[in-house]
Amino acid sequence: MKKRSIALIMAILAVVLCFALAACGGDKNTDGNASDGNASDGNATAGNVVSDYEEIKADGKMVVGMTIYAPMNYKDENGVLTGFDTELAQLVGEKLGLEIEFFEIGDWGQKFNELKTKKIDCVWNGMTITEEALNNSSVSIPYVKNEQVVVMKADVIDNYADAESMKELNFVAEEGSAGESAAIDAGFNCTAVQYQQDALLEVFSGTADACVIDSTMAKSMTGEGTSYADLDYSISLVNEQYGISFRQGSDMTEKVNDVLKELAADGTLKALADKYELTLADELAA
Amino acid sequence: MFWTVTKSLLEGFGSTVEIFVMTLLFSLPLGLIISFGSMSKIKPIKLLTKCFVWVIRGTPLMLQLIIIFYGPGLLAVWAQGQDTGNAFIQWLAGINGFERFTAVIVSFVINYACYFSEIYRGGIESIPKGQYEAGQVLGMTKSQTFFKVVLLQVVKRIIPPMSNEIITLVKDTSLARTISVYEIIWAGQAFIKSDGLIWPLFYTGAFYLIFCGVLTVLFGKIEKKLDYFKS
Repeated sequence: MKKRSIALIMAILAVVLCFALAACGGDKNTDGNASDGNASDGNATAGNVVSDYEEIKADGKMVVGMTIYAPMNYKDENGVLTGFDTELAQLVGEKLGLEIEFFEIGDWGQKFNELKTKKIDCVWNGMTITEEALNNSSVSIPYVKNEQVVVMKADVIDNYADAESMKELNFVAEEGSAGESAAIDAGFNCTAVQYQQDALLEVFSGTADACVIDSTMAKSMTGEGTSYADLDYSISLVNEQYGISFRQGSDMTEKVNDVLKELAADGTLKALADKYELTLADELAA
Repeated sequence: MFWTVTKSLLEGFGSTVEIFVMTLLFSLPLGLIISFGSMSKIKPIKLLTKCFVWVIRGTPLMLQLIIIFYGPGLLAVWAQGQDTGNAFIQWLAGINGFERFTAVIVSFVINYACYFSEIYRGGIESIPKGQYEAGQVLGMTKSQTFFKVVLLQVVKRIIPPMSNEIITLVKDTSLARTISVYEIIWAGQAFIKSDGLIWPLFYTGAFYLIFCGVLTVLFGKIEKKLDYFKS
């Protein structure tokens, strides 16, 4: 009897300890985020005395975290990686004297973990500047404008002229994406899926009525001549901008911002945006 | 297109098989060690092992993957932010963590070893006491009895539950994608992203089915071979 009660107490202690440790970890994380979010050079960055740029330079290459999606990063007929962000990253790399290596992130939800643990050096993949991005990384100036649009089957799209008429529909959107928050804000009945491509697939196969995705992607992946010829996009929900995420407290943000402005001034950026039918952010469009 | 897809899926499948083989290679013996731990006569060892098995079996493999891969790095970042002379924290700040593939193998091995250990324990404890006593009467030592008399009978009894777990392992390899380790599901999904093709994803099912089919036949054969034990 006595032995058993001791064992029981130990087991309970072990559980409590586990939770306490987990809770501790959690607290520290949120503390760190809060302070980093409020003060750009938060005091929790004692370890970043070493310049991030120098560290990347010493590594010999900057690892760009991305996922495959047109028109930002995708493979052409010959299997060569191309796209607006691909070309832009290479241009910026040239200016900074850094070799660029692209890494495909398997789970987009892990992007900031990848960044913080230095598995990648930046997230550069048509990433919408969101609260989450600002809290978990140092974000560059906006470089491309984007909208969140509603995609559905082309033959029914005319029946839904405004957000009000769409309230009854089943929506899908990428988990944690700007599209998801736009759908929720609009009061849509929305299910989260892993990728924007999955969202398109759901609408295409009829398991969902509509999805909310980036206008840049909707333009290049729906309509005649694409794999999703039966789909079309309609009303836009929010206007937003793309940015590049670097590590918190990193000096890379400033350096890349300068190069972006330089590329905007000499017209390179405009030419690249025209090539991929994108709209530059106001600051860089001038 | 069919050949391009098949080739790409085969490449992904190679990585799937690699995860499968490496996991089995390490988790089968580790599982046996853990099962000894949970049957130990020394109470603290037994309790500790049981707690460990509880934690590993009680949390999702996906979470374990994330903790093992990102955990060390995140800990290092936190430690780098601490302004302290504490040697342990300074050591933490310097840790690098695992490579992607290594992290997958480590998580899978630990996870599967815990499941295997319970199967081993069930098998070992199901052997009647008489077998040990007979060994003792014949003048065998304890370890002789275990390895020469008991173990083979255990193997026969645990084949069905083991084949269950091992077939589950084949399909669990798809979790490796969580930490960006390329495998067959990823290879299949890539075609949705780049070409809008959906069938390659369904086609991956054929690879899993064939692989599991081969394993099923293999386990059937092993079971038949061990049929000479009549209990």
